[in-house]
Amino acid sequence: MSMQQFTVQNLATGYGDLQVLQDISFDVGAGECLCIAGRNGVGKTTLMRALSGELPLISGGIQMQGTEISALPTNRRHGLGLSYGPQDSVTFAPLSVKENLTLHYQDQNLERYEHLFALFPRIRERLEQSAGSLSGGERKILSFTRVMAEDAQVVLLDEPTEGVAPENIDHMATVIRSTLQARHSVIVVEQNLSLIEAIADRVIVMDHGAIIHETANGPELRNEISNLLKV
Amino acid sequence: MESSVLFLLNTSYAVLTLALVVLGLAIIFGLLGVLNMAHGEFVAIGAYCAFAVQSAGLPLILSLPLAIITTGAVGWLIEASVIRHLYKRPFDTLLATWGLSILLREGIELAFGLEYRSVSEPVSGSVRLLGVDYPIYRIMLMVALLIGFAALYVWYRRSNAGVRVRAMIANPQLATIVGIDTQKLARLAFAAGAASAGLAGAMLAPLVRIEPFMGIDFLLQSFFVLVVGGLGSLEGLFIGSSLIGGAESAGSTLMGGTAGYVTVLLISILFLWLKPEGLHARR
Amino acid sequence: MRVADLSFPVVLALICAVPFTMGEFTAHQLGLFLLYGIVAQGIALCWGKVGILPLGQSLFFGLGAYLGGSALIAYETQPVVLYPALLGAILVPAALAGGIGFLVFRRQVGSGPYFSLITLALTMLAYQVALSTDWLTGGFNGLSGIPSLPGTDPWTNLYWVIVLALILSTTVLLWITRSPLGQLFQAVSENELRMSFLGYDTAKLKALAFAISAGLAGMAGALFAAQQGIVTPQSLSYLLAGELLIWTALGGRNSLIGPVVGAVLVGMLTSELRNTVQSWEIIMALLFIGTVLFAPRGLAGLTERFLAPFAQKTKTDRDDLRTVDRPLVPASLRFKDVNVSVGAVNILRGLTLDVKKTGLHCVIGPNGAGKTSAFNAMTGRLPVTGGQIHWKEREITNLPPHRVARLGIARKLQVPAIFPDMTIGQHIDIGLWSTGLTVSEMLGQRAFRRRNEILDVLHDLFPVLGDESKRAGSLSLGHRQVLEFALSVIARPNLVLLDEPCAGLSTEETAELTAAIRQICRKFEISALIIEHDFSVIESLSDHVYVLHQGAALSEGSLEDIRADTTVQAVYAGGRK
Repeated sequence: MSMQQFTVQNLATGYGDLQVLQDISFDVGAGECLCIAGRNGVGKTTLMRALSGELPLISGGIQMQGTEISALPTNRRHGLGLSYGPQDSVTFAPLSVKENLTLHYQDQNLERYEHLFALFPRIRERLEQSAGSLSGGERKILSFTRVMAEDAQVVLLDEPTEGVAPENIDHMATVIRSTLQARHSVIVVEQNLSLIEAIADRVIVMDHGAIIHETANGPELRNEISNLLKV
Repeated sequence: MESSVLFLLNTSYAVLTLALVVLGLAIIFGLLGVLNMAHGEFVAIGAYCAFAVQSAGLPLILSLPLAIITTGAVGWLIEASVIRHLYKRPFDTLLATWGLSILLREGIELAFGLEYRSVSEPVSGSVRLLGVDYPIYRIMLMVALLIGFAALYVWYRRSNAGVRVRAMIANPQLATIVGIDTQKLARLAFAAGAASAGLAGAMLAPLVRIEPFMGIDFLLQSFFVLVVGGLGSLEGLFIGSSLIGGAESAGSTLMGGTAGYVTVLLISILFLWLKPEGLHARR
Repeated sequence: MRVADLSFPVVLALICAVPFTMGEFTAHQLGLFLLYGIVAQGIALCWGKVGILPLGQSLFFGLGAYLGGSALIAYETQPVVLYPALLGAILVPAALAGGIGFLVFRRQVGSGPYFSLITLALTMLAYQVALSTDWLTGGFNGLSGIPSLPGTDPWTNLYWVIVLALILSTTVLLWITRSPLGQLFQAVSENELRMSFLGYDTAKLKALAFAISAGLAGMAGALFAAQQGIVTPQSLSYLLAGELLIWTALGGRNSLIGPVVGAVLVGMLTSELRNTVQSWEIIMALLFIGTVLFAPRGLAGLTERFLAPFAQKTKTDRDDLRTVDRPLVPASLRFKDVNVSVGAVNILRGLTLDVKKTGLHCVIGPNGAGKTSAFNAMTGRLPVTGGQIHWKEREITNLPPHRVARLGIARKLQVPAIFPDMTIGQHIDIGLWSTGLTVSEMLGQRAFRRRNEILDVLHDLFPVLGDESKRAGSLSLGHRQVLEFALSVIARPNLVLLDEPCAGLSTEETAELTAAIRQICRKFEISALIIEHDFSVIESLSDHVYVLHQGAALSEGSLEDIRADTTVQAVYAGGRK
């Protein structure tokens, strides 16, 4: 079996006594995009939090390029090349947009963001404003920009399009596709079927804390997922 | 002429030492959002370090590293044992540090007793400056503080460290997501604030009376400066120190000590009510 | 029966037994700490119930003591004047606190530390004043030779007056806690913004709680003067304020009886042992820090767990059906050249918008177009720097949130704003009461029985709302969105502002909530202004669509008009979930 970029084995996690996820397994190869769909409250965000290290595992494992990372804290996983854009509270609200984008680098250089500013000019316009004064959608775009510029081997995005206007969703798809071309892996939790169609290689559908369906992207994808979510 | 030179020197001295005392409280409140009610006790520990060094017959300059190490270590321990659990619970940090201040004060009392102590100046005598005699130790202190604050200002402007700490306070989860070791950073900031208070205590030791209850005055003064100057910037700290130092000395000169204190209180209440973010708010 | 009802008789019995079992000297000492306990009860009301932390409660205790002491000295032999004057020792501190509270809270939304620090600074100020005004307060030596209340002796029967005062204070606080007013206090502490969007003047509610606590402190102070015979500036000092706070925390800030127990146990033990046990203060400090860290509910929190099985919850039926008024005037809203800036950035740039008809209106536009900011400007959350906003021919520019809400404009936030520690039933109450409560309703039990037609329809649409004892904090996102929507329409506003009501919901939940919005708004003639990105929602909810772009209006019309508009197509292309 070839070494995958990112592997999850029999993962189980939850909050306190409450187990939310059981027996989740999947892997993602280099240059591959995996999308995770499912109704609200089925555990998608919980899964992302477990992958990023915000939530400890009850059992199972997570490997990145063969290294077991499930015991490492979030900041260490980041150091190994795992970037994560969470669903909620995605910015440092009292800090300026510029500080949000530069604080985790040694230099305060914005050059690494140039190609992203070209697609999302609004972010460049608001550099000196506090991130808390941005609208919900703008904050999501800011978070997306921060994540994608990190150029990490594995990218986790939790509902990047929530509150984002359609033309910017298209731009997000463009950015994600170019990351995939650079042989990086992307895992996206998403409700927006248009984005899923545009970027996914494979889609897994979750319900009640487990994976209930896995499929490849194709012309029937929209119907397939819509039917599953209708129940 | 001579009296105005003296007034100028006295005011500069008051403002600079006030800024030194406030610095530790400002670091901890500005960066961690914790109003450290035990701040004054850290100053006191620093002063007792100077007393201990002098009683042992060692050169007084050794009190500076001793104070930094002692208060820094105490701060480190306190962050690790108490404060760490209380971020995002502002009322509780207020109460817990209040409890800590009692604890430290009683600890000092057990170790050194209740009586007043004093430390003699390492260099005595005075120097003639623009027609007035002024104590050498004070002049040396002022020069050292000016250099120190200038260096701190340059570092603060150039470094990313302050932004990272603020980021950590605003959204600790996201801070770890972008790779910051938040636990370590917070502990360092708290220890730095405590050490800075300890350093202030050691430097001022020859000029103040040293007793277990000395901390409260330093806490209150520092607190008023923060209220007026605003948080999170060195500029605000100096504006606040100047205003409070100036108001207190002007009030006391014109109408007596109580009036100076009352003036400062009134100014603080007005600021808390009408402009709680202070004169020089965070950008 | 609640826990407080169980513990109070026990504590009271113990207090009454003291003079007989432990002698009058101990009773005298206990009396002093019972008085401090009354002050601590007031602190607990502010801190535990309303979420404001007064750091300088000794200000009102000392004020009551000075006023009471002066009255006793001056009118010892004239009971006709004495008792009204003693009442002043309660009313003056209460009025002062109410005034200070209102002035501070009106300027500052939220319950940050500034209020606490102001109370601390005021106490320190009062201390200085008392020290330096010899002619008024006796300066450092204070007022001495204060006689006891007529017919009492501080060493014998004054104790029973103090016990009566404690019973009075506990009864008043218990009454408030169980009344609608107590429920409103709790809601303020949990989500003040939500309360002001419902039309409640939260500054007044908080100031009221502060005034009540100051009145209790003043009463305790006056009795202190009678009991001790002397009042010095120490009664005003921040050290006393600190001790009071520590007793409250140790006893239990969420409890009525806990603070009294805290004051008595900790206060009395301290005054006994301070000088004999060398490390007593260190033990106390450690105990206090431990309480803050590990038992924030204090001693009462521990006994509550023990007593909880004995407590029962009573449920009231909603049998008081209220009709909802239909509007006389159509919902008309007009933005004229409205500008809003935050820092150097202009968020709204001359927004002009006219809502003339009753109906469902959607506001769309790309991210950052100023949609939510328009709502914020309208509801007093963002200062309008230019232009006017009119509602039914009345200017509402820069009115505070609760005033706008009372004119019939309700608002649902994008991230559902609820009261996490309160039940669904309490949410419904607070929504229904937002049309206004009289003073007697605020203190009675009748208001808990209210319902209205809208609630009946909501119950049919969303069965989850029927589970009235469920904690809102345990609800899923979808149900929170439903709950907040219910909260914003239940009092039948003229206009409801819905900011992405379906954000984060699945396709199925979105369809359900959309249908409910349409049904309720049509049936009860509520106009809605809805911010939405999802065109499946816009299609079913739009009589009229407004398009915003870069802080100004770009276009408006029916959905077909908008779709045909090429300028709109240029900046905005609708998507679908």
